[in-house]
Amino acid sequence: MRNKTIVPLEKLTVNLAVANLAEDEQEQGGDYIKLKINGQEFEFSVGSRLGQVAPNETLSTTLRERLNLTGSKESCGQGACGCCTVIMDGDAVTSCILLTVECAGKEITTIEGLRDPVTGKLSDIQQAFIDYYAFQCGYCTPGIIMTSKALLDKNPNVSNEEIAEALAGNYCRCISQYHVIDAVKHVAEAQRGN
Amino acid sequence: MPEYPAYRHIGKSTQRLDAVDIVTGKATFLDDFKLPNMLIGRALRSPHAHARIKSIDAQAARALKGVHAVLTHKEVSDKVRLGWPLYRPFMGEKVCYVGDIVALIAAETDEIAEEAIDLIEVEYEVLKPVFTALESLAPGAPQLYDTVPGNDVPPGFPQFQPEGPFYNIHRGDIEEGFAKSAFVAEDTIHFNKMCPPLSPEPPGSIVRWDGGDDYRVWATTQSSFILKILNSGSIPGSNLRVSSFNVGGSYGNKQALVIPTASAAMLSRAAGGRPVKFFLSKVGQLATHETRLGSTIQAKIGVDKDGRVCAVQGNWLLDSGAFSDSIQGQVGVGLGEAQLVTSKCKYWDFDTRIALTNKAPAGIVRGYGGQELNSCLALLIARAMKAGNFDPIECYKLNYVQPGDKYQWRDGLWWECKGSLAYPEAMEAAAQKFGWKDKWKGWGVPTSVNGRKVTGVGAGIIGNGDVGEDYTEAYVKIVPNIADDGSKVVVQIDVTESGMGQRSNLAKMAAEILDVDMSMVQVTDPDTLMNPTNMGLCGSRGTITNGRAVSDAALDLKRKVLEMASAKLKLPVEELDTREGYVYVKADPEKRLPWKFLGPPFLTIMGYGRHIENFSTPNFCIFIVEVEVDLDNGLAKILKIVSGTDAGQIIDAKTIEMQMHGGIGAACVDTALYEEHIVDKATGRLMTTNLIDYKWRPFNEFPAFDMAILESQINSFHFKAVGVGEISGAAGAGAVLMAISNAIGEEVSEYPATPDVVLKAIAKKSAAVAAAKKGGC
Repeated sequence: MRNKTIVPLEKLTVNLAVANLAEDEQEQGGDYIKLKINGQEFEFSVGSRLGQVAPNETLSTTLRERLNLTGSKESCGQGACGCCTVIMDGDAVTSCILLTVECAGKEITTIEGLRDPVTGKLSDIQQAFIDYYAFQCGYCTPGIIMTSKALLDKNPNVSNEEIAEALAGNYCRCISQYHVIDAVKHVAEAQRGN
Repeated sequence: MPEYPAYRHIGKSTQRLDAVDIVTGKATFLDDFKLPNMLIGRALRSPHAHARIKSIDAQAARALKGVHAVLTHKEVSDKVRLGWPLYRPFMGEKVCYVGDIVALIAAETDEIAEEAIDLIEVEYEVLKPVFTALESLAPGAPQLYDTVPGNDVPPGFPQFQPEGPFYNIHRGDIEEGFAKSAFVAEDTIHFNKMCPPLSPEPPGSIVRWDGGDDYRVWATTQSSFILKILNSGSIPGSNLRVSSFNVGGSYGNKQALVIPTASAAMLSRAAGGRPVKFFLSKVGQLATHETRLGSTIQAKIGVDKDGRVCAVQGNWLLDSGAFSDSIQGQVGVGLGEAQLVTSKCKYWDFDTRIALTNKAPAGIVRGYGGQELNSCLALLIARAMKAGNFDPIECYKLNYVQPGDKYQWRDGLWWECKGSLAYPEAMEAAAQKFGWKDKWKGWGVPTSVNGRKVTGVGAGIIGNGDVGEDYTEAYVKIVPNIADDGSKVVVQIDVTESGMGQRSNLAKMAAEILDVDMSMVQVTDPDTLMNPTNMGLCGSRGTITNGRAVSDAALDLKRKVLEMASAKLKLPVEELDTREGYVYVKADPEKRLPWKFLGPPFLTIMGYGRHIENFSTPNFCIFIVEVEVDLDNGLAKILKIVSGTDAGQIIDAKTIEMQMHGGIGAACVDTALYEEHIVDKATGRLMTTNLIDYKWRPFNEFPAFDMAILESQINSFHFKAVGVGEISGAAGAGAVLMAISNAIGEEVSEYPATPDVVLKAIAKKSAAVAAAKKGGC
């Protein structure tokens, strides 16, 4: 099933029984949610009308369709392939199975948020993926990079096995796995060295 | 030792042209692309494997606000057809697999399209289905199409075989062949779980009808031109202009894309020319997109006293699912590849048949028939080698094609091998790297026993002559800069980046010949209108065919540049050379002239190169594997892989490494362990249509991997290289079964060797041992 973009007026069955939405509504003064995405604050109106974030809209759809942050891909729509991975409050999450309303108040980083916005300098993990040629078709790469970054941000002291374990939910069919592990290990070692 | 040229770029690892775009998320794939006024295309698909549509009512769907087109078989011309020859309508009164298209919808949004699907009322007369090729060809079997009597698909693929069908090999007196054989093996082997290569990016197309017969297509195809050709056949009279973006993996499986493309094209036309996006979900991809073809051989193999295959007799039965648009071509390649691994065999009596079944269509997948046949044939050849107690790798050295050997390729014509002499050397290099001599303990003997865990080793070989397939063109142009005295080199070629890095490698070839920095070279976007003819990257053809076209175009350009400079400088061509966008005088390099000023202001200078189809330089890969089997639970696990080849001149060191790694993916090696599509025979539905139920190898289950790549300077084209990507894991499945069989001491010849299969074999061996003991008492 493809995720929803804009819910048509004829089809609305709005389910506002999303537990944390009620609190957010009170805190944020109405049917609005705020998300910080790549350092920038976004406020979305929640509801069923054209242009509003519907309660059943996924984070992946909000990022890709609403904000045009198309770097993370939506492949399986079931949280099984990791192509849609972004970082939320420090954790790697699959954005295709998260509802945007669940993410109220959260801080999100996508692949577009890794590069220095002023200088254009790539982050260490992005540069390592180039240096180690850690991709082939590149469709799964943004998700793999985000999972790797979340891992290293928490613990740069990782073994090859821990890197592989952390990436077990990221599907890659071209087989970049060997080069990816080398790249992530390189960044971990560099971080430890620093 | 061959002489190794000192290259500036070739052979080194170079950053891929799109590397920064890939790691920053800037690279565009089809699903990232939008057109103004674009509609969403969806399909109502059949819930039945075989049924007749008694009635269909789409009025409510058409009346739904936001719906712009609804097409059923009543509206779609019978001339829009599928299969080869075009034996079935795109949409007809009959549906022939679960997922066959019943109606097409174009709507403003996904949700409206889904709602419209729900509003279409269909009454079916359910028919008896047939799910196996053998049952399909039996008398009295359910018939899929009146146009294909007996479900027996006619042989021959004129696009490959203009002089007539090539679908069998009959050579010599087969009985004489077996009389000369010292060891014989005979059995039926199945490789028919019809696995999907399962690219991360699902298949899809966006089509805009531009009036008349013109359609503008953007697709997830690895080959824009193949899509254009095959869809032009399905949509009669159509003129397609096809573009692609970065493609998220294909593995041969996203080429023609007839279902999404023709669906979107018809919907766009029906919606008055609004563009329509028809993009499959992952479930849709797994449930309805083309799979590996089903393959069964019933065959008898004879091997002489030295280990050479000297007689092959039998039948190859192919399951094409409900349709296939080039399976006869795959048969031709499969037969060709079988001859490469048995190149000394003079006696053949080998036939093929293709059957239709009520399953999702089979189609083109990395390996293209050769891999499917090899996975069956390799087990029987191994059994004959076992009978003679030969070391398999020593046998492979004797059997693989060498320069001077002749074979019939997919066109049915005879070709003489002019490929590498060093393939036996590559086998030996890989064997040494693996430690084969220490690990190989003989047939049916484990390499190690550690309590209830045993290990075994296996090896397989494969090669493909398609590395020189198809006609290919390229232009290499000098385009003067506006702002300064510099120029750009533009490689004009229709090649999509779907993971192989070939666009960058072609840029390297142009940069090498013109002696410029890589930053000066640009490659045109893949587009059938803007580029000369090119079938894209299939069958490892990219290196030789595109390489020849680009390098010849660059050489042609260099010749023109030097001639133009010669006229301007009034010096002989021999005294001039070119570097970094200047022509300079060899004796006085300070004396130089920018390319920009060689001709009239801002006009380009252009070279042209082409490749003419040629099947005489087959590539080669050996795949050696060590597997551990847990005797208690039957779980088999790959511990180590060594892959070996002779690639000729390496174009890019890291790219070829990844091509060799790639042999693990795309329904290759793991078709021996756990990859399979499972059909519920009560309903005809696939039970494996998501990434949990369909098994794939995750990051934390990758074995140790090493490789032995020789660089023998093959006489192929200017840079003396040959592509190997397609086949890097193609012999892996047979090698894994050989290793499991050796580990447990009992032959396993069922794909995939899941724990239940392995436990059955272990139990069979235990029973035999017990019986022997009892007999002994």
